[in-house]
Amino acid sequence: MSAAPQAPEARGGWTVGEEAKRGRARRRHVGRAFAAITIVPVVLAVAFLATLLGGIVTDLFSWQVVASRNSAESFAWRQAPFGGDAVVRLELAAQGVDAAEIESTLDDPEQRRRFFARNRVEFMLYTDQGPFRWVVTNMRDRSIELVDLIPGFAQRSDLEAALEPGQRLLLNPWLDGGFFQRVASRNAVSAGLKTALVGTLIVILGVVALAIPIGVGTAVYLEEYVAKTRLARLLEVNIANLAGVPSIVYGILGLSVFVRLMQFGPSLLAAIFTLTLLVLPVVVIAGREAIKSVPSSLREASYGLGATRWQTVWRVVLPSAAPGIATGVVLAVARAIGETAPLLLVGAAAFVPYMPEGPFSPYTVIPVQIYSWISENSAEFRHVAAAGIATLVSVVGALYGVVFVIRRRLERTRA
Amino acid sequence: MTTVDPTRTRAREDAPRVGTDHETVRTDPVDADGAVVDVQGLDLWYGAAQALYDVSLRIPRNQVTALMGASGCGKSTLLRALNRMNDLIPGVRTEGSVHYDGVDLYGADIDVVEVRRHVGMVFQKPNPFPKSIYENVAFGPRLHGFKGDLDELVERSLRNAALWDEVKDKLKQSGLSLSGGQQQRLCIARAMATEPKVILMDEPTSALDPIATDRIEELIQNIKQEFSVVIVTHNLQQAGRVSDRAAFMHLGRLIEEGPTDKMFTAPRHEMTERYLTGRFG
Repeated sequence: MSAAPQAPEARGGWTVGEEAKRGRARRRHVGRAFAAITIVPVVLAVAFLATLLGGIVTDLFSWQVVASRNSAESFAWRQAPFGGDAVVRLELAAQGVDAAEIESTLDDPEQRRRFFARNRVEFMLYTDQGPFRWVVTNMRDRSIELVDLIPGFAQRSDLEAALEPGQRLLLNPWLDGGFFQRVASRNAVSAGLKTALVGTLIVILGVVALAIPIGVGTAVYLEEYVAKTRLARLLEVNIANLAGVPSIVYGILGLSVFVRLMQFGPSLLAAIFTLTLLVLPVVVIAGREAIKSVPSSLREASYGLGATRWQTVWRVVLPSAAPGIATGVVLAVARAIGETAPLLLVGAAAFVPYMPEGPFSPYTVIPVQIYSWISENSAEFRHVAAAGIATLVSVVGALYGVVFVIRRRLERTRA
Repeated sequence: MTTVDPTRTRAREDAPRVGTDHETVRTDPVDADGAVVDVQGLDLWYGAAQALYDVSLRIPRNQVTALMGASGCGKSTLLRALNRMNDLIPGVRTEGSVHYDGVDLYGADIDVVEVRRHVGMVFQKPNPFPKSIYENVAFGPRLHGFKGDLDELVERSLRNAALWDEVKDKLKQSGLSLSGGQQQRLCIARAMATEPKVILMDEPTSALDPIATDRIEELIQNIKQEFSVVIVTHNLQQAGRVSDRAAFMHLGRLIEEGPTDKMFTAPRHEMTERYLTGRFG
């Protein structure tokens, strides 16, 4: 035993009795406090996420009172299970058009085109005539009142009581199939995502087609070929830094180089090149990590069988690194899909009511379209924007899902 | 023979220095005609550090040659010099010659890729590619544009590696789904599929359990009808069991070489004896 023990209970270096009990209690206390602190950000994050998603989802629906230029009738889901022409027939009949004329309208391509340019068949969750009904809306239907989803439930009977002849109450789901088939419009009811969706699709395909060969090529070169010199390290650090450069800077670069210097103008091609530059560092970094994680024993095995460097890279290293590279590419694409700032600079247009026709066409993409909808001076566009946001969030979510699946498969093959 | 002072027990201190003028002790030397590989005066440097000093060794045809020695003695370096795997390491410089069937593997007009096709290699840790069993074996032949019955070649290689019966119904499964010992036999089959004359094995059983090791040793005995084998091993019993000739290295020099049974029963160099009796290493 050493010199005089600190506490009377201490024996042979062991703490016993009351002091030991106090020590244990203190430790438990600190442990619990620490666990409590770590749970706070998790709760906050979940709460914010729920608020965000809840806001988007409730904004997808709204109650509308509309002065209809059509019959103000609605048709039960059972009368026309697949919508389309069957609903048009019912509507025209309700307007008092006789059967022969209905068929001739639907059969003549020119009349048909004109009818569908002005009218749309829509499925409503609720109308003043009951739930789940088809209506045929007209471009020039006048909006009388717009009520949010939740307050609308409370005010429903008041709204129904106040309906005048020729008006109808609708519970409109803004994100419906037609939303993806309609192009940009000044009218919220007929505004759709089609042009932006196609624009995003083309831009992303272009970015992937450019970023994969350039990015993976760079990664392979840096990992497998270049000597580890000072210059190579400088290059490495710079690529890592480029990944952190604000995206607006890439927009300025794209504006001066692609739009002005190379005279692409505000075109799809300028957008593709600008976004490719933006995601390249991410692809290169992910590619290098993936290539680095391929065990050197596999390279040795390949060389030992008489493979050249090129054969080793192509047949052994890249197949083994593919899941990691794919993860990087998908994450980069998820980032590119949501980019707005650089595209505003290189000239994504706010209002494009027609499809892009070639690489130099004007175009718009989903986030830019959402941005312009939100800036519209009409309450209804808020719901259109919500539908666009929901689409964007689902697409990005699906891409992260793809990453998750790739990671799972990667872990299984490495095990 | 000298006896060792029993008061000096630290292994490292006990290992005597070898002079630069050291002559390898050779018992029943292999004549030039019986050698498939003929190493003459090989020096090798990693940057400024010399790893091999004037090594001369003939590898006999259709026999198993074991390279032994303590860690860092240069046995793996010598092995990898035989198919120029050292070329992959930056800063390696080689002098001297390695002749394979009369061709200098370090000659100016020699293609490294071709060297490795003639001299195959099996590594310490089983390293099958994350591909199917079939594709693992077919990898080498495909690289070299094999024009023939690939199925037959894969089957023959797997049979030679005593693996065919275990995998014939799951050739499409990943090579990684096999056990460690099976993976190593797959790697041996893969090396044999390029139809080399020499197979180098760098401690092929050090990552395996005793039963798997047994099977690999048996396999080595069987394949020497067709191939000449050079095996690096830390395990003296293994060297005794599988090899026909043995070479003992120390600090980059080849100390002694000769038939395994003679070397194990009557080592002629003092350091060989100390190594074999476990007094350093």
